Amino acid sequence: MAVPAGVARLLRSQDFRRLASCWAIGLVVDVMTGAAGSNTAPTAGLAADLGHPRVLVFLALGTVLWLGLTAYGRRREQVRARIQLVSTNASRLMAPPRVRYPALVGVLVLAILAPQLVNVLLPATKVFWQQVLVDDVGIFVLLAIGLNVVVGFAGLLDLGYIAFYAIGAYVSAYWTGALPVQPPFHLNPFWTFPMAVAAAIVAGVILGAPTLRLRGDYLAIVTLGFGEIIQIVARNLTSVTGGPQGVGYLKTRTVNGQSTVVARQLTVPHFSIHLLGINFDWTLDNVPYYYLLLVLAVGIIVAFRLLENSRVGRAWTAIREDEVAAEACGINTLKYKIMAFAIGASTSGFAGVLFASKNGFFDPPIFSVQLSILVLVFVIFGGMGSIVGVIVGTAVLQVLPQSLRHQFPQQDLFIYVGALLVVMMIFRPQGLIPSRRRSRELGLAEEGVGGADAMGAPGTAP
Amino acid sequence: MCFTQNFWSLLISGLANGFVYALIALGYTLVYGVLQLINFAHSEVFMSGGFGGLFVMDQLVGSRQPHGAASVLLLVVGTLGGAAAGGTVAFILERVAYRPLRRRNAPKLAYLISAIGASYFLFNIAGKEFGRQSANIPTPYTNGTLFHVFGAQVQTYYLVVAGVALVMMLLLDRLVASTRLGQGIRAVAQDADTASLMGVNINRVISQTFVIGGLLGGAAGFLYGLNSGVVFTMGFTPGLKAFTAAVLGGIGNIRGAMLGGLLLGVVESLGVSCIPFSWQDVIAFGILVLVLMVRPTGLLGERLGRSA
Amino acid sequence: MLESRVLKLAVPLAVGALALTACGGGSKGGTTAGSKPTYTIAYEGPLSGGNQQLGLNMKFAVQLAINQANAGTTFGTLPFKLAFTSEDDQGSATASPAAAQALIQNTSVVAVVGPAFSGATKAAEPYFSAANLATVSPSATAPGLAQSGWTNFFRVVADDNSQGPADATYVKKVLHGTSVYSIDDASSYAAGLAGTFDSAAQADGIAVTHKTVPGTTQCQAGTGNVQEYSAVAITVKTANPSAVFYAGYYCDFALLAKALRSAGYTGQLVSDDGSDDPHYVSQAGVSIATGTVISCACQETINSAGYQAFAPQFQALAGFAPGTYSAESYDATNAILSVMKGLGASVTRAAIVAGLHASGFSYAGISKTVQFQADGNYGGSAVYMYKVGSDGKINELGLISTLAG
Repeated sequence: MAVPAGVARLLRSQDFRRLASCWAIGLVVDVMTGAAGSNTAPTAGLAADLGHPRVLVFLALGTVLWLGLTAYGRRREQVRARIQLVSTNASRLMAPPRVRYPALVGVLVLAILAPQLVNVLLPATKVFWQQVLVDDVGIFVLLAIGLNVVVGFAGLLDLGYIAFYAIGAYVSAYWTGALPVQPPFHLNPFWTFPMAVAAAIVAGVILGAPTLRLRGDYLAIVTLGFGEIIQIVARNLTSVTGGPQGVGYLKTRTVNGQSTVVARQLTVPHFSIHLLGINFDWTLDNVPYYYLLLVLAVGIIVAFRLLENSRVGRAWTAIREDEVAAEACGINTLKYKIMAFAIGASTSGFAGVLFASKNGFFDPPIFSVQLSILVLVFVIFGGMGSIVGVIVGTAVLQVLPQSLRHQFPQQDLFIYVGALLVVMMIFRPQGLIPSRRRSRELGLAEEGVGGADAMGAPGTAP
Repeated sequence: MCFTQNFWSLLISGLANGFVYALIALGYTLVYGVLQLINFAHSEVFMSGGFGGLFVMDQLVGSRQPHGAASVLLLVVGTLGGAAAGGTVAFILERVAYRPLRRRNAPKLAYLISAIGASYFLFNIAGKEFGRQSANIPTPYTNGTLFHVFGAQVQTYYLVVAGVALVMMLLLDRLVASTRLGQGIRAVAQDADTASLMGVNINRVISQTFVIGGLLGGAAGFLYGLNSGVVFTMGFTPGLKAFTAAVLGGIGNIRGAMLGGLLLGVVESLGVSCIPFSWQDVIAFGILVLVLMVRPTGLLGERLGRSA
Repeated sequence: MLESRVLKLAVPLAVGALALTACGGGSKGGTTAGSKPTYTIAYEGPLSGGNQQLGLNMKFAVQLAINQANAGTTFGTLPFKLAFTSEDDQGSATASPAAAQALIQNTSVVAVVGPAFSGATKAAEPYFSAANLATVSPSATAPGLAQSGWTNFFRVVADDNSQGPADATYVKKVLHGTSVYSIDDASSYAAGLAGTFDSAAQADGIAVTHKTVPGTTQCQAGTGNVQEYSAVAITVKTANPSAVFYAGYYCDFALLAKALRSAGYTGQLVSDDGSDDPHYVSQAGVSIATGTVISCACQETINSAGYQAFAPQFQALAGFAPGTYSAESYDATNAILSVMKGLGASVTRAAIVAGLHASGFSYAGISKTVQFQADGNYGGSAVYMYKVGSDGKINELGLISTLAG
C-alpha cells in the first residue's frame, strides 16, 4: 500500500517532527505524574496513565506546546528583540547605584524578616516552615555557594562535595565530645569552626593535588569515589565515628548484669555564647539558628564576591575560558584549581558544623552521593558562577518540594530533578539567574570559541 | 597468602562477575571512543536490560523448569530481550540527552550534567513504574554444580554468563574490525572531522555506537539479574565498577575493556578473603585513583582508533 | 553589584514561594466536633522506600485502633473524639526531624506511635522530648534509646539486649551449634543487634566469626556490591560453621541466602526481625528459604480471641493481612488510649507521659500485656522464633525461652 507522497512529506516535515516530540513530552509528563506500578504489576502504572482519558489531556498540552513553539519559531526574531529591549531597559534602570544599593538593602531586609513573614503568613505550620528555612534552605544555600566556587568559578565538576560536609560535621562532633573517642578537652561548637574548616581544607588539598591534573570527566569520577570513601570510612570506623549507629558517646558500667550510665553525650551540643557579658544559648528553636546562618552567609557571600572580582577570580575566569592560553600567560592553573577546591571544601566543612549542632544527631547514610548531586542541581539550576542565582535556585528547589509534599510522593523527587537537569542543559545551561560572564562564555563556546569550563583538553571537539 | 585457601573457587566466581563487568565496560568504552564522553547514564541502560530480560522471562518461563535445548533457546531469547531493552534506552538517551547538546556545541560540563540528570530520571521512573522491590528473574535453567575444576565447583550460572559474554564480545570484535560500521566507528574515534570529510555520517555512527553499547549493557543486565534479581537501583554499583574496569584496561580500547572487566572481577573476588568486606569499595576506588594518576591510559592504552 | 534580574525574579519568587507554602503543610489544628474535644494520635514510620511494607503494617493497625475507639467498641463511649495522622520519615535519620516537627507543631497531636526505626528515633527523640510528647514505639529495638534519658520514650517490644542473647541461646540449646558466622549489614540496627548476639554467643561457648557485609545497592538502603556475596559464600562454605546469623533486612538476606546455598553451604540460616517478611521468601525462592529460622520480638500468630477479632478487621481496612509489628502497634495505640480514657475530657501531652509511667500501669493487649519499665523499656523480654516452612510461609515456633527449655 503506497503512502501518498503528500502524507509522506508531511510526516517527514519539521513541523510534524516537532509535534511528535511535543506529544512524546506530554506522554512522559503524564507517566511522571501518574500512577505507580509495582513489581508484581509492572504495567499497572503505565496502563493507568496511558490507557486512561487523562492521556488526552497531556496530548492536548503537548499540542499547545507545539503551537507555542511554532508561533515562536515564526516570530523568533521579534520575540527575541522584545525580550532584549525589556532586559536592556531593566539593566539601564538597575544600573545606577542609587537604585542598586536600596534594592540590595531591600533583599537583605526581606531575608531578615523571613521568619516573621512565615509566622504571619503561615501561623499553623510555622515551626515546620521555619525548620525548612534553616535546615533545607539555609544550610544548603551555604553548601551551594561553596560548590559554586568549584563548579561555577573554577569550572570543575565535583561530585563528592558532601564528603567535606561530613568531615566538618564529624570534626565538630569530636571536639564537642559527641564521638566514642573523646578529645583532650571539650570545645564550644563555635570554636570547632576553625578545626572543621582546617580539616576540610586539608582533605580538599589531599584530594585535589594529585587529581586536578586529570581530565575533567576523570576528576568527576574521582571526586565521586572520594565522596563514597568518606561515607564508607565513617561507617566502618565504629570506634571513632560511632559507625552505622551514628554519633553519640555513652559510657556504661555493668555490675551484676545491671548496666548504669556513667557518662553520656548523645548529640552535638547547640551553639552558645558566654562571653563578655553576652549570654545566649541556641536551642531546638529554629529562629536563632536562622539568624546565625544569615550572618554567616552574608559574611561568606561578601567574601566570595570580593574573591570573584580579585586577581584569583580573574585567574579562574581565564582558566575557565581557555586553559592553554591561561597557562601561556603564566597562570599556574594547578595552584588556582586547588585553591578553588580548598575554598569550596572549607565552605562545605563550615556548613557541616552548623548541621551537626542544629540536628545534634547524625549517621553515615546522610552523607550520600545523592546529596552531593542535589547540591550540584541547585548550583546548575540557579546559575553556575552566579552567587545570587545559586541562592535563588536553592531556595526554589528546596521550598517547592516541601510545599508539594502532600500532592506528590516524596520518592518521586529525583524523577523531576533528573528531568530538570537534562532540560536545563539543553535549553538554559546558564541557569535561572545567570552570571553575565558565564552566559557569554557559554555563548562563545557554542560558536566554537573556548571551552567554557576547565573540563577538557582544549580543542577536543565532542 | 590470604586467598590461597579458596583460590580456584574465588577465581572462577570472580571471572563470572568479570564477564558481566566486561560487557558493561564495553558500553562505556565505545561511547568514550567516539564522543570522549563518560556516559553516566549507561548504568541505567544496564538496569533496563535487566527489566527487559525480566519481562521476557516472566512471560516465557513463569514457574516452569525447562531443560536442555529449551533452556538454551530461552536463554538466547532472554538475552535478546535484555539487549533490545538496553539498546532502545541507549538510542533514546543519545537522541534526547546528548544530541541536542552536540548540536549546540555545548561544553563538556553540560554533557556530564545531562548524563547525571538522565541517569537519575531513568532509574527513579523505573522505580515508580516497576516497583521498588527486587524481583527475581525466573531462570530458564536449574542452577546446580555442573563439574569441578581443581576442587572448585562450576555452577550452571557461571557457564551461562561466560558463554553469552564470550559470544557477544566475539561478535563485537568482528563488527569493529571487519564491517563498514566498525570502520566508521574507528574513523570517528580517531578523528571526527576528517571522518565526516571522508563521507562518514557522524550522527548515524554515534547513534549506532550507542545502540551497540546498549545491546551489550542490556544483555549484561539480564545476566546479572539471573543471579541477583532486578531492581531499579541495580545500576549504580556495577556501573561504577565497570567504569573502573574500562579505565583500568584503557578507556576507548575494546580489548582493554574486556581485560579490565575480567581483571577487576577476579581481583575483587580474591580480595574479599584478604580485606574485610566493608573496606572493599575503598580499595576499588583507591585502585582507580592510582591507575588514573600513574597510568591514565590504562593497561592496554587508549586508542579505539587503532586496531580494536 | 546586583543585577536587574534579581529584583525582577527574586522578590516575586520569594513571595511566591512563601505563598505556595500555604498550599502545602497539611497539619490539622485541634478542632472541636460538637462539644467533644478532638485529640489526634499520630504514627511516624517508613511509609515510602524499601521498608514501606513494615510502615504500612503498623500504620493501619494504629488507624484501626482509633476507628474502633471512636466507634466505642474497645473502651466504650469516650469523652473525646479521636483523629489519626501519619508522617513518613522513610526510616531514616535525615527525614525524621522534619517529620517530628510536623507532628509536634500540630497541637491536636497528644501522643505518637513510633518512630518505627531506631536510627530515626535517635534523630527525632530530642525534639519529642523537648515537647514532652509521648512516643510509644512498636519496633525500635536499639538498646541505647532507653538509656538516653528521654522520659517520653516508650517501646512495647523487647530491645536488642533481649533479641541478641535469645538468638544465641537458640543456636546453643536448640541447634546445638558450636560455631557461628555472625554477619551484619552495616546498618544502625544490625550493627547493634549483632554486637549483643556476638557477646552472648561467646559467653555461651560458641565460636563466633564476625563479618560486616554491607547491604547492597540491590536493596535500596545499601551501598554495597552484591557481586561480593558469592565470594562471601565461598568463604563461609569453607569455614562451614553450624549456623550463619544474619543481622539485617530481608532483601539482602535473600541475596545472601541464595549465594550461600549456591556455594554449597548446608548449615542453618538464622536471622532477625528485619527478615521477618514474606518478601524474603519470594526473593530467595521457596526452596532456598525453607528451613530458615527468624527471630522477632513481635508475635504474629496469636491464638488469643483478641487477635482473631483483630485480623479480619485489619484486612478490611488495609486490604492485606496484618504483618510484622501490626499487633504491637495496635496494642501500643490501645495502651495510650487506655491512659487517655482515665484522664477524661481534658487530655494533655504531659498527662499521657505521666500516665504511661505510672507504677502499676498495665494494659492487656492482643499480643502481650503492655507494661513499661522506668526507662521506657518494655517490661518483658519475650522473643519469638519463626521458621519458614516448605510451603513458603513463615510459621511461629514459639517463645525462644520455651523452645530452649
